[in-house]
Amino acid sequence: MLTYIVKRLLVAVPTLLAVLTVVFFFVRIAPGDPAFIILGDQASQQAIAAVHQELGLDRPMLVQYLDFMSTVLRGDLGMSLVTHRPIWSEVANVLPYTIELTLTALVIGVVLGLPLGIAAARHRNEALDYAARVFSLLGLSFPAFVSAIMLLLAFAIELHWFPVISEARPGDPLSRVSALVLPAINLGLIMVAYVMRVARSSMLGVLGEDYIRTARSKGVPARVVIWRHALGNALIPVVTVVGLYLGVLIGNSVLTEIVFNRPGLGKLIVNSLNQRDYTMLEGLMVIYAFIIVIVNLLTDLTYGLIDPRVRQR
Amino acid sequence: MRCFASIAAGFVGALLLWATVPAAAQKVLNVGMAAADLGSLDPHRTATTPDKAIIGWMFNGLVRFKPGTMNPETIEPDLAQSWDTSADQLTWTFHLRKGVQCNNGYGELSADDVVFSLKRASDPKISSFSSDYADVTAIDAPDAATVRITFKRRPPSVLGILTNYQGGNIVCRKAVEKLGDDFRTKAVGTGPFAIESYTPNQSITLVANKNYFRGAPKIDRIVYRYIPSDATRDLAFTSGEIDLIYGRQDQTWAERMKSLPHTVVDVFGPGELSDINLNITKKPLDDLRVRQAIAYAVNRAELVKFKGPLTAREAVSIIPHDYLGTDEHAPLYPYDPAKAKQLLADAGYGNGLKLTMIQTSLPSMLNTMQIVQAQLKKVGIDLQLEVVDHPTFHAQIRKDLSMMVLYAAARLPVADVYLTQFFHSRSIVGAPTAVTNFSHCSVADQEIDGARQTTDVTKQKALWIEAQDKLTKEVCAVPLYEQLQVWAHRDKLNFGYKLDASLTLGPITNEQSTLQ
Amino acid sequence: MVVALSALLAPWLSPHDPLEQDVLLRLASPTADFPLGNDSFGRDILSRILWGGRVSLYVSTVAVLVAIVVGGALGILAGYIGGLFDRIVMAAMDVLLSLPTLVMGLLVVAMLGPTVGNLILAITLTAIAPFARIARAPTLTVKERDFVEAGRALGFSNVRLMVVHILPNVVDDILVMAALWLATAIRTEASLSFIGLGVRPPTATWGGMIREGFENILDTPWLAIYPSLAILVVMFGLNMLGDGLRDTSDPRLRHE
Repeated sequence: MLTYIVKRLLVAVPTLLAVLTVVFFFVRIAPGDPAFIILGDQASQQAIAAVHQELGLDRPMLVQYLDFMSTVLRGDLGMSLVTHRPIWSEVANVLPYTIELTLTALVIGVVLGLPLGIAAARHRNEALDYAARVFSLLGLSFPAFVSAIMLLLAFAIELHWFPVISEARPGDPLSRVSALVLPAINLGLIMVAYVMRVARSSMLGVLGEDYIRTARSKGVPARVVIWRHALGNALIPVVTVVGLYLGVLIGNSVLTEIVFNRPGLGKLIVNSLNQRDYTMLEGLMVIYAFIIVIVNLLTDLTYGLIDPRVRQR
Repeated sequence: MRCFASIAAGFVGALLLWATVPAAAQKVLNVGMAAADLGSLDPHRTATTPDKAIIGWMFNGLVRFKPGTMNPETIEPDLAQSWDTSADQLTWTFHLRKGVQCNNGYGELSADDVVFSLKRASDPKISSFSSDYADVTAIDAPDAATVRITFKRRPPSVLGILTNYQGGNIVCRKAVEKLGDDFRTKAVGTGPFAIESYTPNQSITLVANKNYFRGAPKIDRIVYRYIPSDATRDLAFTSGEIDLIYGRQDQTWAERMKSLPHTVVDVFGPGELSDINLNITKKPLDDLRVRQAIAYAVNRAELVKFKGPLTAREAVSIIPHDYLGTDEHAPLYPYDPAKAKQLLADAGYGNGLKLTMIQTSLPSMLNTMQIVQAQLKKVGIDLQLEVVDHPTFHAQIRKDLSMMVLYAAARLPVADVYLTQFFHSRSIVGAPTAVTNFSHCSVADQEIDGARQTTDVTKQKALWIEAQDKLTKEVCAVPLYEQLQVWAHRDKLNFGYKLDASLTLGPITNEQSTLQ
Repeated sequence: MVVALSALLAPWLSPHDPLEQDVLLRLASPTADFPLGNDSFGRDILSRILWGGRVSLYVSTVAVLVAIVVGGALGILAGYIGGLFDRIVMAAMDVLLSLPTLVMGLLVVAMLGPTVGNLILAITLTAIAPFARIARAPTLTVKERDFVEAGRALGFSNVRLMVVHILPNVVDDILVMAALWLATAIRTEASLSFIGLGVRPPTATWGGMIREGFENILDTPWLAIYPSLAILVVMFGLNMLGDGLRDTSDPRLRHE
């Protein structure tokens, strides 16, 4: 098991390095200049040159690249061009917020989406099924920022249940929880839609299989059939989809973080793009890529838990 | 399912309980700013509006503009109590106020700090504003309470570059030396408020400087929140979570805010003047008739109507209104589409003319250019906008890649600064001393330099006016309108002075400001 | 379908020039002449929605088509040829897959500038890899089947084998996926516009219109609502289409 995990992570290393290389050259070839953003629009050429030197941006691109790669290979992501602080610590400051948001959304998605999907499959073409399908299509169709603003209008402006700027204060866990509620619901609803859709269709598929029909014809109660026999097999596509859409979720969390003004990778990346903070962008892309690698690994491990046949492979 | 519902209900109940716990009896001012994060609190390096606004609360200069004004003729003492000048006006001696304390426990401010700070502001390696101090030959401290500044030639406004604006903000030497790179987020001055904490991507908290030399501020804390999403920021103001909000510079926003209860909309100077700079060296703009046609085709009144008369006013010259030396009646070209068409036909573009320019995607500037685009279309000029994001825009126009450049700016309110940066041949983009002369114009060099040399105030003003007339006639730029600063605050906040203008682009909160 | 059609016919259907501005009609309420009202520039919203749909659908359709062609070809080739080529292609796909769609979109568009071309590029880049994967898997199984072996024995060329025998087996899956990716593409365009990285104004796009609308959400909500509804209808349609395709391609469900 452990060797499997290690092997998978090792396989991911070249991918991560490739991502880094692509991002490195891409951001540097693109127009825009961090020195200019640091100094403002009245800065003289002289001042800009001084900052270039200070940031090491005046060196040949290849030298910068080799320097950068050797830093990375030492397990360091370097310093932010703008804040001069280690990228690791900048990311570590906000990463927990993004993770807690995504995980909560995931839990909401699975806890609500799975039973709904199964119920919809059992009552195929009945009112419940249609309602669930319409809801899931709505969830899939709404861009995350539209629903986010709707939530704010409803719960913060009309009902006053939550503040608009949900700020987590240090040393106040309750404030952190309350800051999480609306953003998590916003992302969670999207996840519910995805999970429900897949749970429904894969359940339908499994229910059509011979062994289920046999069990049913033998008089095994429907509930037992569903939970004991069908669920395990129906879960595999669900897990695949959850794993796949976790990427979508992370993407949508950028929008959610901006509308709800939460700290997180999303705000960090938008800010670094505006400031042309090359090193920070490179760091963030690696983090994103790494998260995806981990998610894929977890997805595969979960298959093993659900289906022993996969484990033996 | 029921279980979940009851958990949720309990949860919401707990939150409601938590929300009703009374806040401490402190006076905390919550501010909402349209930015994702801090750039820098170092006053010698702050480039953006979000950073400038906060700097205004933390620092002093040797002298200052009266709070709420930007008139260089009524500059008053700040850290300096008084000053004298030599007969040739090249040596200025400032006598410092005694007992001024640096914030955050960095001790008493001395002449040494002032010398250090001004030298730092003149150092191009550190400061964004070094060019303002190019004429300074020496800064020294004859004793602990006196600072002497010598110039090789008199700059257009000596007091102007020593105010609480940009390089004139005085930083405390010990703090700069001790904090190093951290000075960016922990900057120390002598102002009414001092930095308490900074949470990246979220907020900055300032705390009142109880030892402030003009008296302790009546507001205890200022929480400056970074809220990049316009919709969210407005909603937070509506719900009462922020008391002072950075506004969108448009009519609709101002009107809506005005209609809210307990809300005051602040519209104040400086006006950021939008000029379309025309590159007179590039075809077809090298033909004066084409440039005149553009000037005649632009309808300034309509632009102001679009931008909203609440927050914008028509340009009066190629430099902003109200500066020392502005020609309030410059011979601008009136709106005359027929004449524009005639001029185009004369220049050989009777069948239409196609122009392209690089344009930022920044919505306020893009809107402006879209309106101009529509106006030019009416006289047969097809203007193509090559839209790029803001950083790219700034990089490309400085490489002289666009034949027309829409630039919106406010500067130290003395005609010389704007004229030099935008229309003196020294400042032409691409030159080593480049600033922001995108038009490549040099027709007024003599007048601009002449005005600098003279000590005769009347003659100086006359030269500045002549420069503006020449540049206007040459159509180096087509001035459009001035965009005023727009903020809004709840009526429980009182600034304590009349806010007509603020060079930090945000309302200054100081020891006179109160919050009920 | 109706939406696609009306977007295609926009030049003839829309009552006004989508770029025509009128100060007096700023944020005006709907009238008979302007059935959906006017935006903050006094432009006709109905016309802008129709034209905006053209751009939005153009961006997403082109992006997805390119992704299908490139991704599908790479996937089939990789599966058919196998070996080192397969490994390299799939490794490249892994690199592309390792960034979330929106993040990739942000990076490309923020760095290169918000133009239609770059937007298409950004969406295509993220969509290629899934199509390559989905095309490769069936190719691997079909390749081993008897009729392909037989064809090879008869001396048919590789290209012919791929086009005639493998392609039809892959096409179903690709279509299902294409409908869903179209939806994703439209949403990505809207999201980028919201962050301020959409197609260059004054060109109308739905995302850009929603963004402009949200600036005035409290006093003139219709500016944001109409384009949102337009997106909703298209997404709904595409998802239904995807579902429909999936149901017909799955014989078990068809029989039930």
